[in-house]
Amino acid sequence: MSFFELLQESLPLFLQGMLLTLQLSVISLIIAMFIGLGSCLMNISKIKVLHWIAMCYINIIRGTPLLVQTFFIYFGVTKAFGLSMTALTAGIVALSLNAGAYLSEIFRGGIEAIPRGQTEAARSLGMSHGAALIKIILPQALRIVIPSVVNQCIITIKDTSIISVIGLAELTMVGSQIIARTFRSFEIWIIVGVFYFVIIYVLSKLSKLVEKRLSLAQGADTKFA
Amino acid sequence: MLKVQIQNLHKHFGSNEVLRGMDLDVEEGEVICLIGPSGSGKSTFLRCINSLEQPTDGMVVVDGKVITDKHADLDRIRENIGMVFQQFNLFPHLTVLRNITMAPMQCKKLKRADAEQRAHELLATVGLSEKWDCYPSSLSGGQQQRVAIARALAMDPALMLFDEPTSALDPEVVGDVLAVMRKLAKAGMTMIIVTHEMGFAREVADRVVFIDDGVIVEQGLPSQVFGAPQHERTRAFLEKVL
Ligand SMILES: Nc1ncnc2c1ncn2[C@@H]1O[C@H](COP(=O)(O)OP(=O)(O)OP(=O)(O)O)[C@@H](O)[C@H]1O
Ligand SMILES: [Mg+2]
Repeated sequence: MSFFELLQESLPLFLQGMLLTLQLSVISLIIAMFIGLGSCLMNISKIKVLHWIAMCYINIIRGTPLLVQTFFIYFGVTKAFGLSMTALTAGIVALSLNAGAYLSEIFRGGIEAIPRGQTEAARSLGMSHGAALIKIILPQALRIVIPSVVNQCIITIKDTSIISVIGLAELTMVGSQIIARTFRSFEIWIIVGVFYFVIIYVLSKLSKLVEKRLSLAQGADTKFA
Repeated sequence: MLKVQIQNLHKHFGSNEVLRGMDLDVEEGEVICLIGPSGSGKSTFLRCINSLEQPTDGMVVVDGKVITDKHADLDRIRENIGMVFQQFNLFPHLTVLRNITMAPMQCKKLKRADAEQRAHELLATVGLSEKWDCYPSSLSGGQQQRVAIARALAMDPALMLFDEPTSALDPEVVGDVLAVMRKLAKAGMTMIIVTHEMGFAREVADRVVFIDDGVIVEQGLPSQVFGAPQHERTRAFLEKVL
């Protein structure tokens, strides 16, 4: 079987796998943004309990491998609480919790990079703590963190391959399955790699576009950062 | 009528006693210039007036509201106290117009059209009508500071605080900012100004207050404080800066 016959034959499977990889990535990352922002706000909160909960969450996620987290959620949590969870759900939960912790730290870095004077100016005008955060600090912080957020998205997209261990037929799993049938591991892993590469390449290009848009939106000669 | 009443104001940072019992009454429409050596506590004093710093002890009353009260609604009281910073602190992600309309729309729930109309009026007052659509980064320091003054005025404050508004500016634009402040003073605004511009203080101030080491050492008419200072510390300071 030539390379092209192999490709032609396996393409439908790969496309299915890619669809699942994309689904896993997009849903997890959207949830992770909310978890990240929420836990970041908890982390910087003056209320000690909230700060403490966020710190525990972030440290536990950063201190353990994603593989262990995935097993823990899919096998451990379901067993302990008698839940039933599809592999896809478990994968999304694991990935969002994981990416959420890293995004939380990225957001915190962004918020802390905004000079104190910005908050002081807003508060001196009578704006509440919340209004200052939402209208003044976060919009500036989000701009600063875009490159790091994109970087985390790329890491999470690649991390979806780890979710194959709980039997989800995403790209990497599809690859192994085809190899089990055809023994063409050299070509198949190249094909799998190309799929990931294309997804990430497109994302990088899109993010550059967004960054450009945002910098245009405040004058081309922006000195701010 | 008394606009500001400050009694026995103390502020510690840890064991560092920065303000050591200060009293000051300011009448409506009065312009006060605070002068004193670096580190004497001028900024801290000003920031205690709108509670950007929490005083350790003492009482601050602005326009009849006790800002040092534990249950004071600080946001509402601060709406009534404009502040202008040495570093301008404009919001870099917003245009000049949005910088000015943000707080009135957010805090006073002004309609956009009304807020914008007021913003354009204020920009005219500070001589920057044509800059409404610019971002702060494209303005000079002097222009940024004038926008910052307009932004503070947009809340219709009863009192304006200035913390060395011209210290970060190139000498050739200092005059533009001082001109705006002079105009405000003439219009009857109550102002407390920390400044190193002694010429300006002499000309505009109704009262000059000399602060050293966390206490008010001496105060009076500019002609008295500059012309015939009563205290050795005032004399020593003025000799250095004049
Ligand atoms: N947030 C803070 N934490 C600790 N110490 C502070 C803080 N802010 C001010 N200080 C200290 O308080 C003292 C007075 O500072 P302040 O800024 O009020 O002086 P200043 O008279 O405004 O001086 P300058 O003319 O240099 O602006 C200084 O010794 C300073 O180190
Ligand atoms: Mg100061």
